[in-house]
Amino acid sequence: MDYVQITPEQHGLMLQRIGATSIDDLFTTLPQDVRLNRSLDIPAALSELEIQKTLSELAGANYTADRAACFMGAGAYDHFIPSVVDDIAGKGQFLTAYTPYQAEASQGSLQAFFEFQTQIARLSGMDAANASLYEGANAAAEAVYMALNVTGKRRVLMASTIHPHTRAVIATATADLPIDLVELPAVNGVTDVDALRDALDEDTAAAMIASPNVFGLIEDWAGLFAAAHEKTGTLAIAVFHPIACGLLKRPGECEADIAVGEGQPLGIPLQYGGPYLGLFAARDKLLRKMPGRLIGATTDAEGRRSFCLTLQTREQHIRGAKATSNICTNQGLLAIRATTYLSTMGPTGLRGVAERCYHKAHYAAQRISALDSYQPAHPDQPFFNEFVIDCPVSAGRIVEAGRDAGLLPGVPLDRLGIGGENQLLIAVTEKRTRAEIDELVDLLKEVAS
Amino acid sequence: MNDSPNVNPYEQLKSRGDHPAEPLIFEKHNPGAQAIDLPPLDVDEAPLPGERCGEAPELPELGQLDVVRHYNHLARRNFSVDDNFYPLGSCTMKYNPRINEAAAAMSGFVNAHPLQTDADVQGLLRILYELRLDLAEIAGLDEVSLQPCAGAHGEWTSLKVIRAYFNDPRGGNAPQRRKVLAPDTAHGTNFASCTMCGAGLELIGSKDGLVDLDDLRAKCDDETAALMITNPNTAGLFDGQIVEIAGILHEAGALLYLDGANMNAILGKARPGDFGVDIMHYNTHKTFSTPHGCGGPGAGPIACRDFLAPYLPVPQVKRSDAGDIEFVLDWNRPKSIGKVRSFFGQIGVLLRAWCYIRACGPDGLRRVSETAVLNANYLAACLADRFEMPYFDAAAGRYCAHEFIAIPRALLDRGVTLIDIAKRMIDYGVHPPTMHWPVRDCLMVEPTESESLDTLDRFVAVMRRIAEEAEEDTGRMHAAPHHADVARVDEVAAARSPVIVWRP
Repeated sequence: MDYVQITPEQHGLMLQRIGATSIDDLFTTLPQDVRLNRSLDIPAALSELEIQKTLSELAGANYTADRAACFMGAGAYDHFIPSVVDDIAGKGQFLTAYTPYQAEASQGSLQAFFEFQTQIARLSGMDAANASLYEGANAAAEAVYMALNVTGKRRVLMASTIHPHTRAVIATATADLPIDLVELPAVNGVTDVDALRDALDEDTAAAMIASPNVFGLIEDWAGLFAAAHEKTGTLAIAVFHPIACGLLKRPGECEADIAVGEGQPLGIPLQYGGPYLGLFAARDKLLRKMPGRLIGATTDAEGRRSFCLTLQTREQHIRGAKATSNICTNQGLLAIRATTYLSTMGPTGLRGVAERCYHKAHYAAQRISALDSYQPAHPDQPFFNEFVIDCPVSAGRIVEAGRDAGLLPGVPLDRLGIGGENQLLIAVTEKRTRAEIDELVDLLKEVAS
Repeated sequence: MNDSPNVNPYEQLKSRGDHPAEPLIFEKHNPGAQAIDLPPLDVDEAPLPGERCGEAPELPELGQLDVVRHYNHLARRNFSVDDNFYPLGSCTMKYNPRINEAAAAMSGFVNAHPLQTDADVQGLLRILYELRLDLAEIAGLDEVSLQPCAGAHGEWTSLKVIRAYFNDPRGGNAPQRRKVLAPDTAHGTNFASCTMCGAGLELIGSKDGLVDLDDLRAKCDDETAALMITNPNTAGLFDGQIVEIAGILHEAGALLYLDGANMNAILGKARPGDFGVDIMHYNTHKTFSTPHGCGGPGAGPIACRDFLAPYLPVPQVKRSDAGDIEFVLDWNRPKSIGKVRSFFGQIGVLLRAWCYIRACGPDGLRRVSETAVLNANYLAACLADRFEMPYFDAAAGRYCAHEFIAIPRALLDRGVTLIDIAKRMIDYGVHPPTMHWPVRDCLMVEPTESESLDTLDRFVAVMRRIAEEAEEDTGRMHAAPHHADVARVDEVAAARSPVIVWRP
């Protein structure tokens, strides 16, 4: 099914109107020697019924969080998604529209994005937010570009406790630019404020700290950002977890200048890593240097409140090489998921989710630490929804054993290229029950014996 | 809205059109209302980390019905492919088949965690692997990376790959090649991507909408890394000189990069690899029917020749050489440019693209392009007497590809602006085409293969009617839209004093 509605019978009439004799005539500018004179060598067409059947089988061949209690995190979390979110994001009017260039024909999505920007600004405690970027790691890379651009300085300090994927994307992004990326060492899993002070110099554009960090630990944003601000002009970049903002101090409360994060926990399914949602917020003074789409409130010619894309002169389609970024689109539908999620959860729901993550993760950590031969990797450090455990066997073996027990026990740290073979990163969301946590504890106990 | 007696019952008079204005969600705040509940906490509370705790963010509180109504009301105030003809040039707003949505929503896909073992997700990896092969075949190239998040991201990733190749002493071994060429009709993203990769961009002139070969020869030297070209180009023409263009580049030791934005015109008809392209990106949301979602998510897979493959981002999905699992992610690629995003790619989008390619099959994909080109030429032919078409002249055998440029000269001469025309089209329920791009004063119309002859004819009637209206009453044109949800939006005021978050 090619979904074409023009029938072969209509070809003649259309070609006659054009004044051509065959469809092939219309391709005369394709030189003969580059034409493909055979069929593409791809599988033959399948009917919808066959596609459904094939995909059901392939989906069924995956062992995933719908069949196992998922304790995996490390940047992607198995959170509860209210049914309202799927329903709204499935609406054809949102699904099949494009970037709202024509304001008068797009007030719906424009208003939804304006509300999204407001919600993300409030969630992060910042003044302003954009209409989203590709995903969290790219949002962080954009924050680095922006900091370099705004300050004209050339050094960026990056906590070594930031997710290694994020650091890797920043490294790729800046590889061809004449700048220095400096990694800040950690002590007992959190960034060392003295090391940050030592690394600061006049040429430091920004210091970037994630909290919770890749180990799940809560960093001292307020202290670290205060230290970063001791040098005039240096910007503080917070990498935040949107659910943690329901419970912990937000980037804005800790004097961050730019706040970026992965929006996946806001009603976006795991779907093997994407599409996700890049969150980007900043202080008002940086507004005109922000990357990505921005929606502004204005009025129409008759005085009604209305919305439109704004400050487009920052963007590639107007400004070309001088644009703040090459980004052409946001992650529209995912921003709609996130805004619907936040509207559905409300402040009470969001806090409820954050508290459940926190308490259940602490219950799990306390029970696991009580087992012989399992120790928390970062004792006495405050954490949010995730923690590292030193195991008596390889973390990979525990993951393997989990499959038989109907569990996804966590992420082996060495799968992220950090930590030792025996270190397991365990995440606990509001979806996990006490019984499931107890099953995980039993599994760990069994594997150790 | 709540039933408070303070509500002004005439509030809706401020609305126009059929879809009343909707208050902001913050204005619908109903203190204490809840739209969702959570299970009771089933473990003991742990002590909270006192000074690290903050206040709850100020989010609105609503009941579930009001949340649903809010977004339903907003949805009604949006044009979309599902509701409207959407001939936005260069964006390929084709129909988004619903099987794609159902497929991407299957629980065995949506619940896969990105860090699961390869053994856990063999079904998914098979799809990704097959898609990789399909996209390589459609491109006529050797290798594909599925990772880039969108077209512009694919472009940026490709430039990184090109740079890594030239920087490699065992690769291109020409680190001085830092200059990128592009025709003066290039996408804005091309320029910005170059800047972000630390590359300089030099423009090549055009002749009759095609690349000026003399200018290309003059500017292509031993500092040139690549030419970024869109073909069919942004003027809606297939540049038949493409083999010669590739020859000029290759002779100079440089590469040919294709912006695949317009692949919808040549599926199964010609393959970029066969006309000299070394590396390219796709836009799955244009060519392979993945929904545009109000501006994302897209996906921008890239395809390249073998000699560039070692530099593609990690990881790469491949068939396993040994062991008991068939498909694996390969992280061991020492020459790779590294990671370009967290995790593997826009999986939900790629799944939809796989569905579409399977649904169409080889013959269907060819019919897609043939029909897209037929539809565009049909519209152009039906409007050629009313609109200036610099690159279309059916009588002379000059046809367009899947889109065409129309300049409403007669209307412009009467003082009607392109914006006036666009806004008037909204009154007729048609989404306006791309405007002022790639040349000033033009409308760029891309009907896609999806539309029925009825819809095409209706569009012709709308455009002809607008042309007549402009002759009768220019004032009415300036005041358009008349029937949209809002009157003309003041974008200048929005930019002058930006309000991008709501403050009560």
